[in-house]
Amino acid sequence: MSYLEYTVQRIPTGPRKILYMNWPLVLLTLAVAAVGFVMLYSVSGGAFSTWAEPQMKRFALGLGVMFGVAMVPIWFWRNVAGLAFALSLVLLLFVEFFGVTGMGAQRWIALGPIRLQPSELTKITLVMVLAAYYDWLDVRKVSHPLWVAVPLVLILIPTALVLKQPDLGTALLLLAGGAVVMFLAGVHWAYFAAVAGAAGGLVGAVFASRGTSWQLLKDYQYRRIDTFLDPSSDPLGAGYHITQAKIALGSGGWAGRGYMQGTQTRLNFLPEKHTDFIFTTLAEEFGFVGSFSLLLLYVLIVGFCIHSALTNRDRFGALLTLGIAATFFLYFAVNMSMVMGLAPVVGVPLPLVSYGGSAMMVLMGAFGLVQSAHVHRPRSRG
Amino acid sequence: MKAGDVTQGTIRTPLRPLARILRARERGENPDAIERENIRLRHEAMRDRARQRAEGRLMVLAIFFTLAFMAVGGRMTILAASDPHEPEVSDRLAPITARRADIVDRHGRVLATNLVTHSLYAQPPLMTDPERAARELARIFPDLDEERLLRRFTGRAKFLWIRRKISPEQMQAVHDIGDPGLLFGPREMRLYPNGRLAAHVLGGAGFGREDVSSAEVVGVAGVEKAFDDYLRDPANGGAPLRLSIDLPIQSVVERVLEGGMRLMKAKGAAAVLMEAKTGEIVAMASLPDFDPNARPAPPVSGSPADSPLFNRAVQGVYELGSTFKLFTAAQAMELGLARPDTIIDATAPLKWGKFTIGEFRNHNYGKIPLADVIVKSSNVGTARLAMEIGADRQRVFLERLGLLESTPVELVEAPGARPLVPERWSEITTITVSYGHGLAASPLHLAAAYASLLNGGRRVTPTLLHRDTPPEPGPRIVSEEVSAAARAMLRDVVVRGTAQLAEVPGYAVAGKTGTADKPSERGYAEDKTITTFAGVFPAHDPAYVIVVVLDEPVDTTGPEPRRTAGWTAVPVAAEIIRRAAPLLGVPPVIEPRPTDRLTLTSN
Repeated sequence: MSYLEYTVQRIPTGPRKILYMNWPLVLLTLAVAAVGFVMLYSVSGGAFSTWAEPQMKRFALGLGVMFGVAMVPIWFWRNVAGLAFALSLVLLLFVEFFGVTGMGAQRWIALGPIRLQPSELTKITLVMVLAAYYDWLDVRKVSHPLWVAVPLVLILIPTALVLKQPDLGTALLLLAGGAVVMFLAGVHWAYFAAVAGAAGGLVGAVFASRGTSWQLLKDYQYRRIDTFLDPSSDPLGAGYHITQAKIALGSGGWAGRGYMQGTQTRLNFLPEKHTDFIFTTLAEEFGFVGSFSLLLLYVLIVGFCIHSALTNRDRFGALLTLGIAATFFLYFAVNMSMVMGLAPVVGVPLPLVSYGGSAMMVLMGAFGLVQSAHVHRPRSRG
Repeated sequence: MKAGDVTQGTIRTPLRPLARILRARERGENPDAIERENIRLRHEAMRDRARQRAEGRLMVLAIFFTLAFMAVGGRMTILAASDPHEPEVSDRLAPITARRADIVDRHGRVLATNLVTHSLYAQPPLMTDPERAARELARIFPDLDEERLLRRFTGRAKFLWIRRKISPEQMQAVHDIGDPGLLFGPREMRLYPNGRLAAHVLGGAGFGREDVSSAEVVGVAGVEKAFDDYLRDPANGGAPLRLSIDLPIQSVVERVLEGGMRLMKAKGAAAVLMEAKTGEIVAMASLPDFDPNARPAPPVSGSPADSPLFNRAVQGVYELGSTFKLFTAAQAMELGLARPDTIIDATAPLKWGKFTIGEFRNHNYGKIPLADVIVKSSNVGTARLAMEIGADRQRVFLERLGLLESTPVELVEAPGARPLVPERWSEITTITVSYGHGLAASPLHLAAAYASLLNGGRRVTPTLLHRDTPPEPGPRIVSEEVSAAARAMLRDVVVRGTAQLAEVPGYAVAGKTGTADKPSERGYAEDKTITTFAGVFPAHDPAYVIVVVLDEPVDTTGPEPRRTAGWTAVPVAAEIIRRAAPLLGVPPVIEPRPTDRLTLTSN
């Protein structure tokens, strides 16, 4: 658009770009990942090769991806945003028909040794395509119903596909991430008010449909909601995760039991202790100090992203950075809330710390995009 | 000109303001630069507004993030400060909702109750050492297969049952394995403290819907199933179900019957002891029996009638033989066709069309009074009476005695046990039915019919429930006089007829024997019999009816094997009466006899 004027001369070129990266953000990313390695080593009972080593290798690869993505000019990423989104939709459809079922849901595509989780990829490509859309769209048309409908469809297609896998947690994160971008792009308040009202109605409908022939959620999903509302109602069943997690957090106290000293996790009381519930191990072994420090690291990452976006005059770059920051924020906020009983148990990993390849690679790629937007941002004039 | 002026509703700055362009032309500048400058300003203004709005929105988002951060951080603080404690599982799980009411006998003694026990299940994902767990479990429960357990523990299952109920010792042993993947769930089980006693009446119970914290106990047979809804209804407030069974009497009946069955090498036996006036069943036994605490599985092959689960007293329908002769005699008296001293032509053999009716061991009794037809159990004499009565009247009479329908007793098995009734009630059917062939009914049918005839002539309905107040008398079947005359005849059968072994001094037993050849694939088997004794005591004040049936008995105490009721069912019934009557509170009396009066006065 004509009003976006890059003062191209002042944007670094060649290897000098590395100097102009958002280095505090890189260091924060490294710090959080290091916490992850330490915790995975502890959770596996002091075995380096079980989880910590593969995770480190993947993080090294992810770091490479991040630098690679950061070196490519941001306008290239804007131009391929639509393509990337289309590709992730194709992968989602592919997983629908050929996916590997893991933990009761179809989420994976097996490509030789690589297991790909397209729903993770979609979280980022959705933010990309929405940012590119609002970059292209005339600011005056942002709240026009027709131009609101387009991003809505863009959000709802992948959400529906993910919901069908079924993966309620990721579907909600997609919705929330997309909504944040729309909100930041300046879509009128009334739309969000209407959606909030409709969501309230939907929640009512979901509860009303329970036990009827048109039941909207699966039984286990209702049980999780029940358990969320009263975890002790079913301490041996679905409430088990939460109850045990709370015990782990409580027994950690202020300073924790000490590294490798956690009993709840060591004695196998917690399932999925190396993935979604790894935070409990941290909380038990390092206590409030440790867990609050991790929370601060996360918040700092989000803070640096917001700062980068504020100094960025490129609408695409700014929106993309903020969208990724919001997605990242939702990740750890939902995971921590879930572990601490503030939210229902939905399968959302703790970003950069939980064991898992797909999520980490996608996240590192996303940080690469943030870096690219930062490096190639049009500097404020005078 | 300020950027802020470019807003809707106000007059927009023209892109090419004429005054400035003219002035520029005068100075020789390019007027297009003015337009470009204006466009740039306008765009800048627009972008600034967008940015302002974006920053406003960002502020809202930042506030939201901060709130979320505070919530998470605050929660972290609270949890870190909290005392870790296990949820109080036991308190929440202790009240198991589906409490099943007890079953008690007529005096309130417990027949069935509940016991809190534990189930054992496994959650393989939590297991630390599946191999050791499988090995130790196979040691504690020898019937579990170690390899199969290990396969299940290491398979995909996240949950599996190992035992539905375990004893406290087993629970401790499993606990000592110490594997976190082996877990216990509290539940109630049904306990029958008396073991096999009254097994067929009680039936048994199993688990319905079950989960790890409780299980539903449901009746699977007998009264447990017939009263399942009542027993599970919380509205009854746990009030026990009171049966008419009397525990000590039931015990006596079962023990004597079992001894008799062994002595006579019978393959099965059944007995019913019933209150003659009310129809309440005081004891009911069927052998072989089973332990309802460990109810065997229904047989998959062979006849279900050979299974211990089969209740011969209710489900077994047999041709009950000569015990039916009483019905013929009573009806003839009721109809006024005969009196006890009426002479009946019992000259054998009796020819009827192509059929010949003979007597046991080819006797020929000649012309004898009606009483002797019963005492000697004459087929020919009974047949003559039946021919007088006729098919229609006979059928109606048997129907009123309840012999053509299944009994209404409160057992889930009862409605399925229909008597085998001849399809066409021809003349020859009338004759054979009159002495108990061609119509098969259960021992309970016979007991109810005898009670109806001998209690003074009022119909009784067999029941397993104890009533505190006597029920309304049923419809009249025969007159008091006929009932008394029938009792006198039956008393004579014991005193001088085919049931002399039934004499129990002081209890004036009256009764009739019945011996029926068992039907086999071709006609009737020669050496296989069903022997029956149906009686009442005391004869002068009918209080209890007893029916004893033995399946394929043989008495080998004599020089040759004896298979008639007089040598098999009768002594068993006598022994039951001998032991049960004092417990029942029947006062022994010296029977008033015409000859005795002289002896007494001569003292």
